[in-house]
Amino acid sequence: MAEKTSGKGWVGVDFKRKEDHRLTTGKGAFFGDISEPGMLYLVFVRAERAHAIIKNIDTSKAKALPGVVTVVTGADIKDEIRSMPQKVVVPALPARYPTHWPLAMEKVKFHGEAVAAVVARDKYTAEDAAELVEVTYEKDLPFVANAAMALAPGAPKVHDEWEDNQIFANVFTGGDTVEGQEENARKVDKIIKGAHAVIKETFRVHRCGMTPMEPRGALAKWDESDGLVAYVTTQRPHIDRLALADILDIPTEKVRVIAPRDQGGGFGVKAPFYREPILVCHLARQLGRPVKWQETRNEHLMVVSHERDQTHTVELAADKDGKFLALRTDGTCDCGDGCEGVYWGYLMSWLGGILFTNSYDLPNCDIRLRVAVTNKSALSPARSFGSYPTRFAIERAVDMMARKLGLDAGDVRRKNIIAELPHTTCTGAYYDSGDYLKVWDTLNEHLNVPKFRAEQKKALAEGRYIGIGFGTGVECSGMASEILVPMENQPGYGAASVRLDPRGKALVSFGDAAQGQGHETTISQVAAHEFGIHPDDIIVREGDTETTPFGSGTIGARTGSYIMSGVSTACRVLKDKMALIMAHDLALDAKPEDFEFVDGEIIYGKDSNIRKTFGEMAERIIMAPVNLPEGVEGGLEHTAFFEAPTRMMCFSIHAAFVEVTPETGQFKINRFVTCEDLGTLINPQIVEGQVQGGVVQGLSNAMFEQVVYDENGQCLTADFENYKLATAADMPNVEVTHSTTKCPHTPLGQRGLGEGIPGPVPGALSNAVCDALSPFGIEITELPLRPNMVWRLLQEAKQKQAAD
Amino acid sequence: MKTTVNITINGESYEETIPNRMLLVDFIREVAVQTGTHVGCTYEGVCGACTIQLDGEAVKSCLMLAVQADGHEIKTVEGLATNGELTPLQTAFNEHHALQCGYCTPGILMNMDEFLKKNPNPTEDEIRHGLVGNLCRCTGYAHIVDAVKDAAGK
Amino acid sequence: MYPATIEDYVRPATVVEALAALGRYEAGDALMLAGGQSAMQAVKTRLLRPRCIIDLQAVAELQGVSAGGDGVRIGPMTRYAALATEGSFNGAYQALNDAAARIGDRQVRNRGTIGGSLCWNYVAACLPPVALALGMEMELTGPNGSRTMSADDFIGGPLETAREDDEILVSLNLPAPAANSGSAYKKWGLVTDSLPVIGVAAMLSTDGSGACTSARVAIGGLGDGPRRSAAAESGLQGVSAGDGDGIAAALQAASDETETQSDMWADADYRKQLIRSLGAEVVASAFARAAN
Repeated sequence: MAEKTSGKGWVGVDFKRKEDHRLTTGKGAFFGDISEPGMLYLVFVRAERAHAIIKNIDTSKAKALPGVVTVVTGADIKDEIRSMPQKVVVPALPARYPTHWPLAMEKVKFHGEAVAAVVARDKYTAEDAAELVEVTYEKDLPFVANAAMALAPGAPKVHDEWEDNQIFANVFTGGDTVEGQEENARKVDKIIKGAHAVIKETFRVHRCGMTPMEPRGALAKWDESDGLVAYVTTQRPHIDRLALADILDIPTEKVRVIAPRDQGGGFGVKAPFYREPILVCHLARQLGRPVKWQETRNEHLMVVSHERDQTHTVELAADKDGKFLALRTDGTCDCGDGCEGVYWGYLMSWLGGILFTNSYDLPNCDIRLRVAVTNKSALSPARSFGSYPTRFAIERAVDMMARKLGLDAGDVRRKNIIAELPHTTCTGAYYDSGDYLKVWDTLNEHLNVPKFRAEQKKALAEGRYIGIGFGTGVECSGMASEILVPMENQPGYGAASVRLDPRGKALVSFGDAAQGQGHETTISQVAAHEFGIHPDDIIVREGDTETTPFGSGTIGARTGSYIMSGVSTACRVLKDKMALIMAHDLALDAKPEDFEFVDGEIIYGKDSNIRKTFGEMAERIIMAPVNLPEGVEGGLEHTAFFEAPTRMMCFSIHAAFVEVTPETGQFKINRFVTCEDLGTLINPQIVEGQVQGGVVQGLSNAMFEQVVYDENGQCLTADFENYKLATAADMPNVEVTHSTTKCPHTPLGQRGLGEGIPGPVPGALSNAVCDALSPFGIEITELPLRPNMVWRLLQEAKQKQAAD
Repeated sequence: MKTTVNITINGESYEETIPNRMLLVDFIREVAVQTGTHVGCTYEGVCGACTIQLDGEAVKSCLMLAVQADGHEIKTVEGLATNGELTPLQTAFNEHHALQCGYCTPGILMNMDEFLKKNPNPTEDEIRHGLVGNLCRCTGYAHIVDAVKDAAGK
Repeated sequence: MYPATIEDYVRPATVVEALAALGRYEAGDALMLAGGQSAMQAVKTRLLRPRCIIDLQAVAELQGVSAGGDGVRIGPMTRYAALATEGSFNGAYQALNDAAARIGDRQVRNRGTIGGSLCWNYVAACLPPVALALGMEMELTGPNGSRTMSADDFIGGPLETAREDDEILVSLNLPAPAANSGSAYKKWGLVTDSLPVIGVAAMLSTDGSGACTSARVAIGGLGDGPRRSAAAESGLQGVSAGDGDGIAAALQAASDETETQSDMWADADYRKQLIRSLGAEVVASAFARAAN
């Protein structure tokens, strides 16, 4: 199976994944597979009401059940654990940060909030005991159901100590002063009032999220001398470690967090610092026995994996040729109770506001957002991180503007897509590199839109309705410290340690955690490419805070952009050292760049007869560090901290082709094509998989998934019968194409991707349906996009046509 | 409350006295300690990650009590390869990058292994329809379909 | 997530043994388990807390499909997968193939049974409206003997049937079909093969000229349980396959007559549209099968 590259290297190679053998033979090491001797099981008792004052929690029957070790309530732990917020997981943004513990105190604030925890010797017994915990409520409080209700004057308060329900608000344009913002608002208002055409619409995107196939979990054990070891399904082990140390008052050297080697998906859901692991760790310490909590899907759907739920009123102004002049938008976000470390429910919509203008050249904008707390669980990050609703809004607005002006939506897009990079948007977002118009042209050439238009005309004559729609997406390629420090009080650098052994094999380690992205493979490829050795000669380890350098986590496509760059940089440092020593050994007047590392050898460029194997040089430097150049010591190990000189973004465009049956509003996605500018592709097949997966999540979110609360705040979608995910039979094949410009700021010219993929999807899909139904003139302004809604819009359009 | 059962898993016989209410997936994961079969939903039995073969038929082990499997033969993902040699399906999954996090993968392999025995030459639509009982969040399904198509007839 | 404690698990080999086991418990304390694809969901949520599980997997009398001159006999333990590919239904009873082939997913179809589906009678289930449309008969055996009844009498409101707690469904019977008969079933739900929002089953018989002489049309997915549509059935009298307007009128009448509900899956109006659209498809299909 050992592939030789004949000197071409390992970048751009579809190297088959190393992870697959264990994962296809049942030897994966997931959280649920981990156990510790004497392990106890923890089950949460969760509130059955949305907003109510707790009267009493009777745990006596539960405690009396044989096999139950302890039952705790909020009152029990209030003085034992520090409350949140803790500085290390609070952004440096002016928001309110609700005080909270792992269990409810005094009142419950959402259906599913944990009110008690049972610890028992087996998990069936723990569930029996949880049923026996009796929670009585003094009274029900009004259900704060959505952002509008929460922000209305005199609204019932979710957090009693706050003066109202606004957790965060921001004006993204006009600078940092109120004067500047007001002046900007006046300027934008003037432009809108004087514009040839204005679209004004309210766009609403529902509550839905990522639901990885593996829910969350935490398993903690405590030892008096070694301290705390916690296995947590987390994307951010190093951050969790700091937060646990602070909350539980344990010195950091005695806290070790380990993200399991295999995790069943994350997509942002496993990035926050949550309540549950805090209690699991606390009880493990208190009881002196390992405690394991394994989240059920039921808990998961009630408590996490909610995102989007944003409403944006948008005014877009353009001249008669379709050039955009200004944009004004007022948005609200329903972020649930906001009680969640790192993100606090609101951070996603904040970034969504910053990137609101997406790929369009719109220097004159007035962009505002208010985020409200409600009686629901806090929003947790999801792929696209606040941009899914805003992209839906702006991409629909673009199409609506085109229709208003009688212009082709594609032409209007091309006219307004940012023509020159780098570009700074009206919110100060810096887009570093790329050629967006080239992506547009490449995709359009591939699709042959004129041919489709001819087919569309012919189909219409036959009574069939087909359509095409586009959506664009500028997404973060990693998160520079420049953004991450203010945003999350966390560094953005990509830190990677590379250690060679005396046989020339490499160990690469970094402090993030994988959830299926194929890090072990792609990182091996990067190191192999640099060293000129085989990816099988490299092992990659992450996730354990004890054995890895600091990492802020697998978030925002950091691995592809920052970690890979850190690996590359560290490899180059070691290569230079090896070359230097080889030159010294052979008395060559040579510099590191005179040597080539290829196919397991180090070859002198000026005379290819002068060559050593990679392994023998490694052995010489590590095992026999004598006669070295002056000032050089033995050993081959280096940790690099990569920080790009600027923030980095990547760009993609999606196109959807649909056929709609007006009689029922049902539609079929015949084709879905993306065009990506990811710079250098390390493993094209893995990239394709990421895009296909992200697009299907975006489609599934748009069409099938929805978190629904009834009028009493009961969550109605806490299982997969009711929260429906797309199956293979519901989804199209996603075609992935590329239009590549190298990233100028990374060693290999690569960009990271993954984070933003679902973003362009709802715009592309909705635009396609509207395009197909353009003879009827319907406009889709809210999600989910379902046949029932399409049918209703058509009925309304028909009635209107009949009336006119 | 308890029953003594004899369940064969991947050719190995397990005689155990277990609670009547123990789910088959728990017997597999915890009594037989074969953790390749996964649990991805609660009571609804929709996600399919727990799919195994019972007497050669793909079924969801979370929707069965272990006692129902008394006297029956079960095959899990650990039992697919023989003497370390992967099946064409497992190999195809690697070649076509048909898994990312791998959590849903064992259930898909057990389902598709049986599916291909009954449908040795399936169309893409038939494969997609056959996969309805296995939810995947990472791959978007396309590579899985490619892998199954490739393994068909091998 | 996990069932409540189950005291007893029995696996009878005969109907007599099963009845004996049932008889040892008070009404509702024993649960007969067929395929378990619905019942086990309820057991795991603890909605049902049976003291005893009576597993019917080994009762040979409940298995098998046999077709003869006097009709078709279907064992209640027949799995959906077997029903889906059962060839003896021909055009008259092909709605059974239609429905069974698309219930849930293939893992569910390997395990779930027609008897279990009919006794559970979930509002959105596929087989209850099919049973109504085909004029299926149910045979029940209890401590006091056996009785037979039509699907019209057997199928009740949501999760209700005429079966007493101490009875076992032992046979599902279909009479020999009239000549020139055809049936079909179609459903629509948000995702492929999920429990549908609306499902429509229709069985038609035609005369030599292709005009409909009798029709049975049943709708599933309604809040009050599956029901036949008298308006559709009378509206289709005398209508032929090519009479699009006549078919549409019959189904309009059906949707007008049928009370539909609004919930998070669909509006009441949209459910009516689905009755019309799905109804048109199954009627067309039933006509085509009747003609073969």
